[in-house]
Order: sequence, then structure tokens, then C-alpha cells
Amino acid sequence: MLSLRDVHVHIGKLHILQGVNLEVRPGESAALLGRNGVGKTTTLRAIMGLVSKSSGAIRFDEFDLSNYPAHKIPGKGIGYVPQGRGIFPNLSVLENLNIGVTGKRDTEREDYVFTCFPRLKERLKQAGNTLSGGEQQMLAIARCLMMRPKLIILDEPTEGIMPRLVSQIRREIYRIGQSGVSILLVEQNVETALKLCPNVFLMEKGAIVYSGAAHDLKGQPEIVRRYLGLSQ
Amino acid sequence: MRDTVLLLAMNGLIWGLIIALIALGLSVIFGLLDIINIAHGDFFMVGTVLAWFSLSATGNFWIGFIVAPVIGFVIGAIIQRLVIQPIHGAAALSIVATFGLSLILQETVRITFGATPRRMLAPIQGTVPLFGIDYEIYRLFAAGIALVALAGFFLFLQHTKLGIWMRAVRHDRETAVAMGIPAQRVYVMTFGVGFALAAFGGAVAAPITTVDFRGGVDVLPFCFMAVIIGGLGNLAGTVAAAVLLAFLEGLVQSVADPTVARISSLVLMSAVLLLRPQGLFKGFTR
Repeated sequence: MLSLRDVHVHIGKLHILQGVNLEVRPGESAALLGRNGVGKTTTLRAIMGLVSKSSGAIRFDEFDLSNYPAHKIPGKGIGYVPQGRGIFPNLSVLENLNIGVTGKRDTEREDYVFTCFPRLKERLKQAGNTLSGGEQQMLAIARCLMMRPKLIILDEPTEGIMPRLVSQIRREIYRIGQSGVSILLVEQNVETALKLCPNVFLMEKGAIVYSGAAHDLKGQPEIVRRYLGLSQ
Repeated sequence: MRDTVLLLAMNGLIWGLIIALIALGLSVIFGLLDIINIAHGDFFMVGTVLAWFSLSATGNFWIGFIVAPVIGFVIGAIIQRLVIQPIHGAAALSIVATFGLSLILQETVRITFGATPRRMLAPIQGTVPLFGIDYEIYRLFAAGIALVALAGFFLFLQHTKLGIWMRAVRHDRETAVAMGIPAQRVYVMTFGVGFALAAFGGAVAAPITTVDFRGGVDVLPFCFMAVIIGGLGNLAGTVAAAVLLAFLEGLVQSVADPTVARISSLVLMSAVLLLRPQGLFKGFTR
């Protein structure tokens, strides 16, 4: 489904991604973990075409994403929940929700996302900036779901969210994965990531240094300590 | 004396509504593209000239109300693609580029239209008694048209896909692109819309001003003052400031000459910059 082969990204003089190899198969949930500044967000931005890669290949299904301008990539079936949520504060909840929907308003899909996040239905006319952090995160995920993606990329979806709402967001991400949508998750909370995603990629200095099953990683405290700075 | 004050205040108010249309275009372009558009007054001038050509060619004044914004939109879109896009992100360079554009537009009009200022007859002649004075019907009509156009533009921003895209890209271009919005196309359309608004303002104003290749020179500083006083990027604030400024200038002109009136506007703008640099109406609307 999604594959990155030897992807390099330079920003200015900095060599941020130094040959990233990664694969997410249909229906699979994978977590991309690593310390701050190792290139996780840049990897996601490279997939979405928001930064230019210097070399390597990024493919999604039969498409070579390099051939498409960034705004065409969501249309191929990739939804993106950016770090910081990326809610448009000057747009209403309903406008935010439908921003990526092409053609007519999809009320059937709206009903579906309201069953996932009923709170949003009560706030349809409110401006995006009047929502709490947790509600904004729900909106960011719901906005993605509106585009009926085959793969959802989430960049730290529980960052800065009230603990009470974190469990709801985590539950919905799990449900999305169960519904057959593939997930690529960047998450600082390693425990959350390992619970949600059966597959794990560890990043260090702009490259993937470990890939494997989440349950295998749990049995390798040395790797967890070295690359994530955590002790189990 | 009372009649003079009333007449000039009314003229100011109506001129303010027309200026609001033009300043709105300037504010939209600034808010979305970060462009300080020195040529914006000339977009208005092009509108007056297109109205004049439409009338000359067809004998029908009203055709100019369609021709000016449509041609303005097309020219604006072409300018964005050829001039603005290559210097995207370089605000300082945009001043130089749009200054050059201003000269090109003025000289093009001077060559084709001539250097002699011309006057257009208003399509609606006559006056109506208003608050004890006889007031030109066309000016009232122009005020109504400007109000309808302003309302139409705000409805367009709120209720059309392109309007919502413009608001989204203005806030966060990268996220907008990640949601599938073609930001580059939105920029092109925005510049076109900005030109169209100014050109439509020109067509409406043509019978109450002179049609002249330098007709935009005086309009530009007024528009900038409206944008600054209204709050940079605050569209409703820009409209309110344009009307307020023109109304005040009208009032001052009833007791002093136009230069003093313009100085009073500049003093107001300086006071706003000193005391409320975020603009008089910042926070007034989202």
C-alpha cells in the first residue's frame, strides 16, 4: 500500500531524512517512533508532498506520489492529521469537516463521523478556535474520515490533550484501524502507540533502525532504551 | 452651510462605499498572498477605462458593470501567474514588482485611451430631494450597487467552496494543501477577484469621477489607509474604515480644502498606528 524506499530529504543544508525505508500494508496499523528531532514528522510531511525529497521513492498503491502535486495526494486516499491538529480557526466546525470533500456535501459520511465523535455534532456552527484541544483533535480526525481515506497518517494525536479525552481519541483510532483503514501513527506516548499498532518502526537520525512487531519490541528493553530513551 | 456639509458628507459616504470595494480587494490580496500591491489603484483605473470603452463601443453603460470585473478578473489571474507567483514569499520584492506593474498599466492606458482625462455621463440623470437637498440619483444608485457588491462578496466568502478555500489558505496554507486544496489555484483566483472588485468599483465610480490614466494614483493611499485603520487582513474592518475615512474627509472638506481633509485622514491613520496598531476594528469580526 504505502512504501518508502531510501527516501532522503534536505532542508537547507540539513540532511533530515537519510534513507528512510518503510512499508504499511493494506489494513495494517504501524507506529513510527523515535526521540524528538529524529525525522518522524518530516517523514510524514514527505509522504504528503509537503517537503520535497532529494531522492528515493514514495509509492501509494499503484501511484508514485512524486508525480503528483501535494494537493492531489489526499485524493489518492491518504488522510493526514497534522501535528498541532491544523484546525482552521476562522472556519466553522462544519466547514472544517467538509474542507477536503470534493463535490456535493456527503451527509451519509457526516452521519458516520458523528457516530464516532458525537460531540462535534453539537458544535457544527462554532468556529474552530472555540473548541477545546481534544475537540479540535476529534475534528482533525473526523475531517480526515470525511475524505474516505484508505490510509490515515496521524502525527501525535494525543499531544496536549486532556487525559479524559485521550482515551476516547485512542478508542476511535483503534476503531478506525479495525474498520480496515490503514494507519501510520507518530506518537510520543509509546505505550499508546504499541497498544494501537501491531507494527513498529523506530527512527534514529533520519533513518529507520528497527522494524518489527510491537510485541517483539516489548521483549527488547535494550532497543527501547537506546532509541526511545525509556526503560520498561 | 448646512446643505454643503450634508452634501459633502453624503458624497464622502458614497465614495467610501466604492472605496470599500477597492480596499476590500487590496485587503484580500494582502491577507492571502502577503503582497503589498502598489498597482491596486490602477486596477480601479482600469475599471473606469473599461467602463468608458464599453459605453463607447456599445452605447450601453450597464455593460461596463459586467465587462470591467470580468476582464479585471482575467487580467488579475494572468498577473498573478506571470508576475506575483515567481516572487511568492518575497514581500519586499512584491513592492518593486507591483510598482512596475502600476507603470505598465498606466502607460498601456495612456497609449490606448490617451492622456486627456474624460468624463462619463451618468446613465441615470436627475436629482431627488434628500434631507432638504437635491441629491444626484446616480450617486444613490452607486451606493446601493456598492452595498450589494460588498454583501455579495461576503456571502461568496462564507458560502462558496472557493470562498471557504480562500479563508482556509489564508490561515494555514500547508494544512489546506494537505486537505486537498489547490492553494496555487486559490492564489490565482484571489488575485483575480481582487482585481475584479477594484475594476467593478471603477466602473461604478466612472460617472462620478474622471476617467484618467492616473486615476488610481489618488485612490491607492486611501485604500491603504482603510486597510491599516481597519486592521491588516480584517475584511469587515477594512470596509468600515473606508466608509468612515471617506465620510470624515467629506465632512472636513465642507469647512476646509481637500488637502486638509486628506491630512486629517493621515492624522487619524497615524493615531491608529500609535494607539491601536492592530487596527481600529481588530477583533470586531472573525
